[in-house]
Amino acid sequence: MTWAVFRRALVYVLLSIAAFVSVFPFFWMIIGATNTSADIIRGKTSIGGALLTNAATFFTQVDAPRIFFNSAFIAIVGTVLTLIISSLAGYGFEMFRSRFRERIFALLLLLLSIPFAAMMVPLFVMFSQAKLVNTYVAVIAPTVASIFIIFYFRQATKAFPRELRDAARIDGLSEWQIFLYVYLPVMRSTYAAATIIVFMANWNNYLWPLIVLQTADNKTITLILSALTSAYTPDYGMLLFGTVLATLPTLVIFFVLQRRFVEGMLGAVK
Amino acid sequence: MNRIVSRHNRLLGVALAGISLVSVAAASAGEISVWVWDKAFNGDTMREAGEIYTKDHPDTTFNVDDTASQDDIRAKLQTQLLAGSTEGLPDIVLIQDDVAQKYLQSFPGAFEPLSDSVDMSVFAPYKVAAATFDGKSYSIPFDSGVTGLFYRSDYLEEAGFTPEDLENITWDRLIEIGQTIKEKTGHQLLDLDLNDTGLIRMMMQSAGEWYFNEDGSLNITDNAALKKALETYAKFYQADLVKPVSGWAEYTGAFTSGEVAMVPVGVWITATIKANADQSGKWGVAPIPRMDLEGSVNASNQGGSSWYLLSSSDNKEEAIDFFKTVWAGNEDFYQDILIKRGAVGSLLSAREGEAYKATDEFFGGQPVWQNFSTWLGQIPSVDYGTFTAEVDAAVASQLPGIIQGGDIDAALQAVSDQAQQQMQ
Repeated sequence: MTWAVFRRALVYVLLSIAAFVSVFPFFWMIIGATNTSADIIRGKTSIGGALLTNAATFFTQVDAPRIFFNSAFIAIVGTVLTLIISSLAGYGFEMFRSRFRERIFALLLLLLSIPFAAMMVPLFVMFSQAKLVNTYVAVIAPTVASIFIIFYFRQATKAFPRELRDAARIDGLSEWQIFLYVYLPVMRSTYAAATIIVFMANWNNYLWPLIVLQTADNKTITLILSALTSAYTPDYGMLLFGTVLATLPTLVIFFVLQRRFVEGMLGAVK
Repeated sequence: MNRIVSRHNRLLGVALAGISLVSVAAASAGEISVWVWDKAFNGDTMREAGEIYTKDHPDTTFNVDDTASQDDIRAKLQTQLLAGSTEGLPDIVLIQDDVAQKYLQSFPGAFEPLSDSVDMSVFAPYKVAAATFDGKSYSIPFDSGVTGLFYRSDYLEEAGFTPEDLENITWDRLIEIGQTIKEKTGHQLLDLDLNDTGLIRMMMQSAGEWYFNEDGSLNITDNAALKKALETYAKFYQADLVKPVSGWAEYTGAFTSGEVAMVPVGVWITATIKANADQSGKWGVAPIPRMDLEGSVNASNQGGSSWYLLSSSDNKEEAIDFFKTVWAGNEDFYQDILIKRGAVGSLLSAREGEAYKATDEFFGGQPVWQNFSTWLGQIPSVDYGTFTAEVDAAVASQLPGIIQGGDIDAALQAVSDQAQQQMQ
């Protein structure tokens, strides 16, 4: 009895610590956005009155509409294309038999272990020769065939009932129609979870956009925030205000798709 | 079936919209693009220089881009030069002096030698030396990192010292003064970040030494200046005069909030210190202490950067003419950037100007700029080599042991071994 109580207490203590560790930076960001730089350095942890000043500084220093448009365009188009291409690939890998299927798939998984930094220079040469440097295409194109998402869809497809496909075939649907009318609706949760993962990855993508985007008007919010931190006298209040803004879209997407996300991660097929 | 087609069309539409929004940036003729990393300091300074030039040459305009951090600029430059693609690179780029040699030696031909067309003798010699490779100099020196010992004059007075007590002293003497200040006022002498080797490099350069020999080989185990610098660094901790900090915000916070009494640092910190207007009159600047070592002087450098012209530029002639007329010839411009932004340039003759002679009430009426420019002329030249960053990391990894009284010779050996590995 006492052991059970003790164990319960221990679990709660550990969970509280974990919750604190993950929530505190978020709390600090929001508090910081309302304080002046000097107060933030002093470690003030209460809400301050500098929110409007920080907002004003941020909007005068950063061409916000343009920068957020860049981020949103890259993230949304990138996410849609990634979902289409990678889910088709994942579906195909699981549903269609071929002699080389497992070998190709193993090769793909092997490619996952190559760090992006190693591919950066050759990739840049390719885009430079295609005259695509400093374009949205250059940022989006290398991400749309995501090996991780292909893997993720293949795993999820394993739980997709074959009987449904066979029944659809008997009803005379073509393979494309099966994918669109049978597979897609059944796998909604998987798509929702993948949307969150891909959108966040695209929105936060840093290294490649940094290298391939050249002019100020094409940069994304992640790049601009990084530049603001490097000033000799950084304005932390303004910076944290910008960070709050940059966090909002991923937050909204997550809350909208939250229920499906959890289902998707559990691999539920209904 | 129609529904499917229309869906396909919609998807195609989205994809096409993406492609139609593609825009390839082409620098318009006569526009000189520049990459800098701080809007208020080097960004606005370059913008002002550009405006001066455009006034007399309306066909040449400037596009100063400050939307990348210094690390970002390095990553971009390095990737593109490695890829051999100069598309989208600017005409002029700002590079910090201690990494310049790496670019000059790793990417021969990427930067335009400027000493052929611009007279380099008008600039501070140590700045020119930092950008000289194979007998040619590749940069127009910008801001100097001439160092000073910024101190709280009110704490100093409270402890019974006068500003004269800080003139021409050694670091050992500063430790004695620091102990008295701590006893009398309760304030630590300075704040240090164990990940930052700035102070050690500053001390080493004051003796005209660096991590490397002339042939580029490592100069660590027999480097008396480095050894002395590490010993002095440890003494600060052993005398309990250090407030340990981590990261830039804490570092600047400790002296701008009045927690510590002094900060030995490059002149570019002036704007950060003066941002706290309520502390006006409570600050002073002394020459940095020297090491108790033959050849060490009361002047050194920390940071500082210079302008480089890329060979791929389409506007080389205009850019060189711009450098000549504004950066190497316009003394009034240098007065202006000093007053507005506290930027101490490297043009020697600018030191004779009015702004440099002015006194500053924030620093208790001291002629701070005059002092800084005197020290500027005394900074020993050193060759920063190509692997400064690697050795810095090796030194930083030994600091925690050193401040706890670890053996310095053993630490130097470890630094040497680690750096050797990195340099292969």
